[in-house]
Amino acid sequence: MNSSADTERHHRFLRRFTAHEPAIRAHVRRLVPSRADADDVMQEVSVVLWDKFDTFEEGGDFRAWAFGVARFEVLAWMRDRGRDRLVLDEEAVARIAEEASADEPRLQRQREALEQCMQKVPAAQRGLLMLAYQEGASIQEVARDSGRSVAGFYQWLHRMRRLLLDCIRRSLFNEEAAS
Amino acid sequence: MKAELDTLIDSYLDGSISAPDMRRLNQRLNQDVEARRAFTEMLNLDSALAALAAGHVPVRVETPVFRPFRWKSRAAALAACLALAALVWWWQQPGPAFATVEKAAGIADFAEHRALRGERHSIRAGSVSLLTERGARIVIEAPAEFWFESGQRLHLKRGRLAAEVPPPAKGFTVITPSGDAVDLGTRFGVDVPVAGAAEVHVFQGEVIARPTGDAARRSLRGGDAVSLDQGASTARELRSAAFIQLDEMRELSAGLDAGQRARSEAALAGLRQDPALITLLDFETPDSASLPGVFRSVQGRWPGSHAPEFVEVGDHLKLDAGGGRDWPQLTLAAWVRLDRLGEPYQSLLHTDGWESSNPGQVHWMITHHATMRLALRGNTLAAGFENPGGNPDSLTPVLPEQGRWVHLAAVYDAPGRTVRFHLNGRLDREVRLDVAHPARLGPAQIGNWNRNDRRLSGRVDELILLGRAMSEAELRELHAAGSPYR
Repeated sequence: MNSSADTERHHRFLRRFTAHEPAIRAHVRRLVPSRADADDVMQEVSVVLWDKFDTFEEGGDFRAWAFGVARFEVLAWMRDRGRDRLVLDEEAVARIAEEASADEPRLQRQREALEQCMQKVPAAQRGLLMLAYQEGASIQEVARDSGRSVAGFYQWLHRMRRLLLDCIRRSLFNEEAAS
Repeated sequence: MKAELDTLIDSYLDGSISAPDMRRLNQRLNQDVEARRAFTEMLNLDSALAALAAGHVPVRVETPVFRPFRWKSRAAALAACLALAALVWWWQQPGPAFATVEKAAGIADFAEHRALRGERHSIRAGSVSLLTERGARIVIEAPAEFWFESGQRLHLKRGRLAAEVPPPAKGFTVITPSGDAVDLGTRFGVDVPVAGAAEVHVFQGEVIARPTGDAARRSLRGGDAVSLDQGASTARELRSAAFIQLDEMRELSAGLDAGQRARSEAALAGLRQDPALITLLDFETPDSASLPGVFRSVQGRWPGSHAPEFVEVGDHLKLDAGGGRDWPQLTLAAWVRLDRLGEPYQSLLHTDGWESSNPGQVHWMITHHATMRLALRGNTLAAGFENPGGNPDSLTPVLPEQGRWVHLAAVYDAPGRTVRFHLNGRLDREVRLDVAHPARLGPAQIGNWNRNDRRLSGRVDELILLGRAMSEAELRELHAAGSPYR
C-alpha cells in the first residue's frame, strides 16, 4: 500500500472513530468498574480498531463492529488486570453488552438529555458535580473543598445521580409521548 | 429489593463494593433484566456526566453548598466509615517493588525508601523523586495522579514528570491519557495538565512519542517537544525549565526542612503592613487567586501553593493597581521561573496606557539577551549609560542554565534619577537617568502585552509593587526569606 492510500485509510478511520468514540466509550464504561478503567480499555480498543480496520467491511456498521471489539477488550482487560478487582462476571458482561448494544439508540438519547436536566440543578451544585467528574478529580479533595465529609459527599452524589436519571427518564418518556 | 439494588450499584460506582456485595450484584444482574436495565442506565449516566465535565471549565468553589448534615443513625455513620476505608482504592499488592522513594518535598506519605508497587497515587502538593528497579530517576510534581504498571511502565494521569533514564532502563515508558512516551536512553519530561493535551519534552537523547489511537510514532531528539492530542502529535516549543529535576528537588527539600516556608510567610506578613504597599500577589488569597486572565494554575514555590503559569501565546493575567496617582519611587519584585527565552521580550508587567501623552507608564520585562529591563515612558538615560534600546537594562542574564526559581527586582527612584536591578537579592546594576518621570500604574498585564507580540513563558509567584525604593539590604532579606532552596 502506498503512503497516500495509507493516509486516506487513516482519514477514513479517524472520521468513523471520532463520530462513534462517545458511544464506544459509554459502552466500555457500562462494563468496567471505574472511568479510569474505561480509559485504560479505550486506549487498547482504539489501537485494536485501527490495527483491524482492514477487516472492517466498507458500508458495514462501524459502531456495532467497535462494540464487539470493545466487549472483547473488556474481557481481556478483566483477565489481565481485573483478576483481583471486584468486577462484573463474564456472564453479566455478555448480557449487558448484548442488551446495551441493541438499546444504544435509547441510551444515546438518555446521554443527550443530561445537559437539559443539568440546567434544573442549582448552579453551585452543578459546578460541584462537574468538579467531581473532572478527569483525575479526587473525591476526597472535592468533598473537602466543598466543606463536606467524604462519606456525606458520596451520599450526595448518589442522590444527585438518581435525581438526574429520573429527570432523564421523564424527559425521554415525554418526548416519546409527544411524538 | 429495588433499594438493595440501588445500594449495590452506588457502592460499585464509588469503588467501595465488598466482595460478597459484588457477588450479589452479579447475581441480581444475571437474574433480572430490569436490574440490568437500571444498572446500564446508571453507568450510562456516569459516562455522560464525565463527557459533560470534560467540556466544562471548572470554577473555584468558594463557599460550601451543603446544609449541615446529621447522621440518621450510628449504623449509617459506621457504614459510611467502612465505605470511606474501602474507597481508599489504592490497594497494596504483594510482589517486588517497581520503584522506591528517593526524596520527597512536602509530601508526608512518601517516606524515603518507601516501596511503590501497582497502587495508585494521588498527590496534591509537593514533589517526589523515585528510583525504579532498573535505575531510572523520576521526579513528579503535584498535583499528580500516577501508578506503576511495572518497573518499566508508569501511568501518568495528570501531573508533571522529569525522567533520567540510564541504559539498563532503556524502553522506560510513560503512559498518559493522550499518548505514550517511550525512552531510548535519555532525559525527558512529560506534562499532563488538568485540561488539554499531554506534552513530551526531550532534554537529551531520544524518545518515541506515540499518540493514543495513532499507529504513527514520532522520534524526538534533544530539544524537541510535542503535544499529543486526539491521536496526533504536534511540534511545540521546548519548556525545559517547566520540570523539576533531581538536583533542584534536593534543594527544595532542604529548604522546606530549614523552615523557609514559614520564613517567607513571616516576610510577607511584614510587607502587608508596609504603608507603601501597592499590591502583593501571592496567588493564595482570594484577591489574587481570582484575577482575570488566561493561564494555567500550577504549583508555586511551596508544596500545594499556587502560581499562574503562562504557556501559550496570549496567556496573560490582568491587574489594575496603583492607578490615578504618581509614584516618585517604585519597587517591583517577583519570583519567576522562566521556561525558555524567545520572542523579543518576556512581559513581567506592562501597563496598558503606554502613550507618549502619558509619561511614566511602566514596562518591566526580560529582553532577548535575558537581561531585565525597566522602561518608563518618556524617560532618557544619563550620559555614559546609553544603549541601543534607550532603556535601563540589567547586566547579568536572569536565566540560569537549569529551570530554577529566581527573584527579580527593579527599584525606581525618580527624584534620585536611578533604576537599580537586583537578581536573587544581589545588586546587579544601577543605571542613571537624565529625564525621570514619576511612575504611573493602573490597568496592566502580566505575561503579555496586547499591542505587541510579548509573552512570558513560565511561572510567576509573589509579585510585589511597593510605592517606595527598597534598599539593597531589604531586597537581600526578601530574597533570603522567600527562597525555596537551601
